Amino acid sequence: MIGSRHAPERVDAVGTVRLDKRGPEAAPWAVDAVGVGKTFRTTSRSVEALQSMDLRMREGEFVCIVGPSGCGKSTFLRIVAGLLPQTSGTLRLRTRSDAIVPIATVFQDYGIFPWKTVLSNVMFGLRVNGVARRESRERARHWLGRTGLSDFADSYPATLSGGMRQRVGIARALAVEPAVLLMDEPFAALDAQLREILQEELLAICEADRRTVIFVTHSLEEALVLGDRVCVMSARPGRLLAERVVPFERPRDRHLRESPQFGAMRAELWDLLRGEVEPQRAAHAVGGVRP
Amino acid sequence: MTVDQRTAPSEVTLIETVRPRVGLEASKSRVRRQVWLERGLAIGLPLAAIALWQLASDQAWIDSRLYPAPTTIVDEGWHLLVDGRLLGDIQASLYRILVGLAIGATCGLVVGTAMGVSRTLRAALEPTLNAIYVVPKIALLPVFLTILGLGEAPKLALVGVTVFFFVWVETMETMANVPEGFREAGRSFGVSQLGMLRHVLGPAALPQIFVGLRVAMSVAVMVNTAAEFIVGDDGIGYLIFNARALFAVDRMYVGIVVVALLGMLLTALIGAVGRWLTPWHQSSTRIR
Repeated sequence: MIGSRHAPERVDAVGTVRLDKRGPEAAPWAVDAVGVGKTFRTTSRSVEALQSMDLRMREGEFVCIVGPSGCGKSTFLRIVAGLLPQTSGTLRLRTRSDAIVPIATVFQDYGIFPWKTVLSNVMFGLRVNGVARRESRERARHWLGRTGLSDFADSYPATLSGGMRQRVGIARALAVEPAVLLMDEPFAALDAQLREILQEELLAICEADRRTVIFVTHSLEEALVLGDRVCVMSARPGRLLAERVVPFERPRDRHLRESPQFGAMRAELWDLLRGEVEPQRAAHAVGGVRP
Repeated sequence: MTVDQRTAPSEVTLIETVRPRVGLEASKSRVRRQVWLERGLAIGLPLAAIALWQLASDQAWIDSRLYPAPTTIVDEGWHLLVDGRLLGDIQASLYRILVGLAIGATCGLVVGTAMGVSRTLRAALEPTLNAIYVVPKIALLPVFLTILGLGEAPKLALVGVTVFFFVWVETMETMANVPEGFREAGRSFGVSQLGMLRHVLGPAALPQIFVGLRVAMSVAVMVNTAAEFIVGDDGIGYLIFNARALFAVDRMYVGIVVVALLGMLLTALIGAVGRWLTPWHQSSTRIR
């Protein structure tokens, strides 16, 4: 039961939304993207990075976006984050007016600042938005505890392993209690074992708080383990190719990967994606090879 | 099917190779020995050179009027120290170097930051400043003397201008080239322009700024000494040049040694302050 877990007061309203009981409009919407596109223009040429992306998310929903390299999934995330303006389409977000940072992002690398200690990194989002030092420190310490970083509060990131560094990135984003959490291939640089461990940790945190999350990844497995819904994007210029609701109940555990249903869904998504990853070769192998 | 008819090699024997094992203790002591050797060489070689110099002077292999023995230089230095002349000159030089450094570094930081942040400003000013950058600053001394007279001002201006360029170029270059990822991380938390400077661009550039400051410091000692050769009646530069005019070779060498020590001390000081202010930055300021 999600309700029985520890969860901060402010997300309780969201936390009552259970995935299995979810109707079409069970929770209010949080993100609404219609035909969002981005064309980069230099003086000599223009590149269409993202053709048209549609995404409507409910509060508390965890959506994973998968797609081939360069399909514009990171670009879409940056548009949602407000780091880039879109060149076409509309994007609406619904966040609480009292949010410190309505939308926080976890980056793949360069996310955390090497010149700040772990604690200062996690305090960053709070301090630059005017939260008092003492309160910032308390909230940062809470998130260090939840990400297993308490013993490293005064360390500099350079002395930490890759997994620890990414935990800092996650703690920093969560410390501002964002309405929407964006994650841009946060585990891509980690080795396979560490990846699984961090996925499990993220699952535990997100299932406790029912956060609205957009998670960009290369890995179908990762998308199926974490997401309520998986969006598959086409090769560049990217657009939404297909969407699948992930039927697995929460809380999920690590044995999920071994279930036959998981394998079947993975295969189905891979068939969708395969043609986008290798268009020429796939044309020869119609109806054929499966991983 | 053809059968491969290779001739059987007649004189092949098997070779067994065993790699020698080095125990942990042995390798540890080997590392320690290497460290001591390096330290010994670093200290021992200059000491040996000085000893040789002393010997050569004592044995009259070299003309001790032109190349006074190290002991003579130390003696002379002690005399100058006791009668207070040396301290006065050190004080005068130190004042010029430090005040000039403060002025130049402040201007360099401000202009470098502004140009590092603003692309437009960079486009407007960089070519001009780059052109002036390559002018040997000592060549500007006559200009400063003409404009600012013969007091402290022209020397301070010269040191200041020298320091300015080193600090300016490092500040601008590193701030302009802070990886986009760090800026994005900052912006994603809604950081203000000032906050970006304080939390992201400033600290990102700080280690490199200190590299610039260290170079600036050693060059500041140089140009100040040169300026004191030419104008004024105090400072280590004056001491050296005046001693030469009086053919007081011993005193001249005292000046040279003192100015060398001063330069070493001041750059070490900058390095220490840099390490203190950039604790996350492990090695690079320690190198060189």
